Amino acid sequence: MRLPNIQYVEPGSTQEASAFLADHAQESKVMAGGTDLLPSMKQKIFKPEYLVNLGAIPNLDTIEFDEQSGLRIGALATLSAIEREPVILEKYPAVAQAAHAVGAMQLKWMGTVGGNLCLDTRCYYYNQSDFWRRCRPTCIKMGGDTCNAIGGGNKCFAVFSGDLAPALIAMDANISLLSAKGERTLALNDLYSGDGAQPVSISPEEILTCIEVPKPPEGTFSTYLKYRIRQSIDFPLAGVAVRLVIDGNDKVCHDAKVVIGAVGPRPVEVNGIKELLVGKKLESPAIEQAALLAQKAAKPVDNAAGSPSYRKLMIKIFVEKALGQATASV
Amino acid sequence: MKEVIELLINGESHELFIEPKMTLLEVLREEIGLTGTKEVCDMGSCGACTVLIDKRPVLGCLTLAVSCKGKEITTIEGVRSGEQLHPLQSSFIEKGAIQCGMCTPGMILTSKALLDENPHPTEMEIREAISGNLCRCTGYVKIVEAIQVASEMG
Repeated sequence: MRLPNIQYVEPGSTQEASAFLADHAQESKVMAGGTDLLPSMKQKIFKPEYLVNLGAIPNLDTIEFDEQSGLRIGALATLSAIEREPVILEKYPAVAQAAHAVGAMQLKWMGTVGGNLCLDTRCYYYNQSDFWRRCRPTCIKMGGDTCNAIGGGNKCFAVFSGDLAPALIAMDANISLLSAKGERTLALNDLYSGDGAQPVSISPEEILTCIEVPKPPEGTFSTYLKYRIRQSIDFPLAGVAVRLVIDGNDKVCHDAKVVIGAVGPRPVEVNGIKELLVGKKLESPAIEQAALLAQKAAKPVDNAAGSPSYRKLMIKIFVEKALGQATASV
Repeated sequence: MKEVIELLINGESHELFIEPKMTLLEVLREEIGLTGTKEVCDMGSCGACTVLIDKRPVLGCLTLAVSCKGKEITTIEGVRSGEQLHPLQSSFIEKGAIQCGMCTPGMILTSKALLDENPHPTEMEIREAISGNLCRCTGYVKIVEAIQVASEMG
C-alpha cells in the first residue's frame, strides 16, 4: 500500500507548529510516531494535504519528577522511555504497565504518549482499506449516516483503544494543549468526547504538549490489566486501570478509582467505586460488587475481536484481579 | 514534490531525490537496492521491515524517509563486520532458525537491539522482545534458542 501524496512539514518548535496549524489546520494531519496515522493513510482513511511531523521538535520528550509538582511527561516521550523510567515504575506502576502492554518493541520505540492519548478510535468496519470500505455504505465516522457495526443507528461506536489513557486518568493526569491562541490545561478525563466519530476534543490547530500527574500519596497501589487475544502486541479488547490508597497499618482503603478502557468510544471512570470501597478493608463482597459495577459500565458493541459479553466479563475479572493484587500488596 | 535528502545507511551516505510520501522501506528496497529488509504487511503488524534507527528498532514501513535525515540507519546488510557474521547471524544458521527467511532480517535486528541493551535475557524477555516480529514458518522455538545461544556467546 502506498501513502497518498503529501506535502511534508517539519516544524522545529511548538511555536512554528502552532503558526502553521493556525493557517492550515483543516488540510493537515499532525504526526508524532506515525504508527497509527500512517496505516490509516495507507488505507486512505485520511488524505491530508500537509503532514506535520511534530517528532522533530526538540525537548518535548522529557520525563521529569518533582516532589511538589509530581510527574511531567512531554507528549513526545516514547512508550519505551515510559515503560523503563524508574520513577514511573516506582510511583506510577499502572502507567509503566500500560506503556509496556501497548505493543511490539518497534512500535514502543516509535510511538509516543501523546499519540497514544490521541489515538483514533477503532472498528472492524473502519480500519479497512478504501476498497473494502467501498463495498458498504459510508459509515458515520467517515462522514456518512449509518453505522456498519450495528447495521443502522445514528451514532458511532468505534472503540477507544489506547492503553495509557485509562492508567493516566486513574492517576488524575492533566494535559496541556497549545495553539497560536495560547495554552489550555484540562483534566485528561475531559479530553474524551464519548463520540466514536470525533473521540478526542482537540481542535485541529491544537497540539498536545505535556502530561502532568500529581505525586501519589503514601500507600498508593496502581495497576493496569489488558485483555487481548494474543499475549502480546494487539490493541486492547478490554482494559482496566485501578488506583487505590491503602493505609499500611490498618489496611483501610482511603481512596479508590477504577477506569475501564476499550469497551466504548472513550475510557470510563466507573461511578460508585469510592462509595463501595473507601473507609474499609478491601474484601468480599465489596470487591465483587465493585467488579460488577465496572462490568455494567462497559458498553462494547460487536466491532472488535471477542464478543461484547466476553469483553464485559473480562472487565469484571480484571477488576477482581486488580483489587486482589492490591490487597496482597499491603 | 520530490526533494533531495541525504540518508546515512550502514555507515554510507546516500543522496536521494524522492517524494515525501515514500517510506524508508520503499526507499531502501526500491531506490537504493538494499532488499534485505522485507516488505510483508506494509502496515506495522508484522515486523519484517524492522531496521535500526540510532540503534533503536523501528518499522521501515511506517517511517517516512524524509524524516530520517541526520540519523544512523542500520539494515540487515549492515549487521556483520566485514566478512565476519554477527553472532546472531551464525546462531540463526546453526540452530536452524531460518526456514523461508522472510522474518529473519527483522528478527535479527530486533534481537540485536535486545542483546545490545540486555546481554543475558531470560526466555520470557526474549519472547516479549521478539513479539513484534511474526514468523509463519518456524513456531519460534529455534529462533528463541538461537538468540539464547548468541547471548551466551557474548
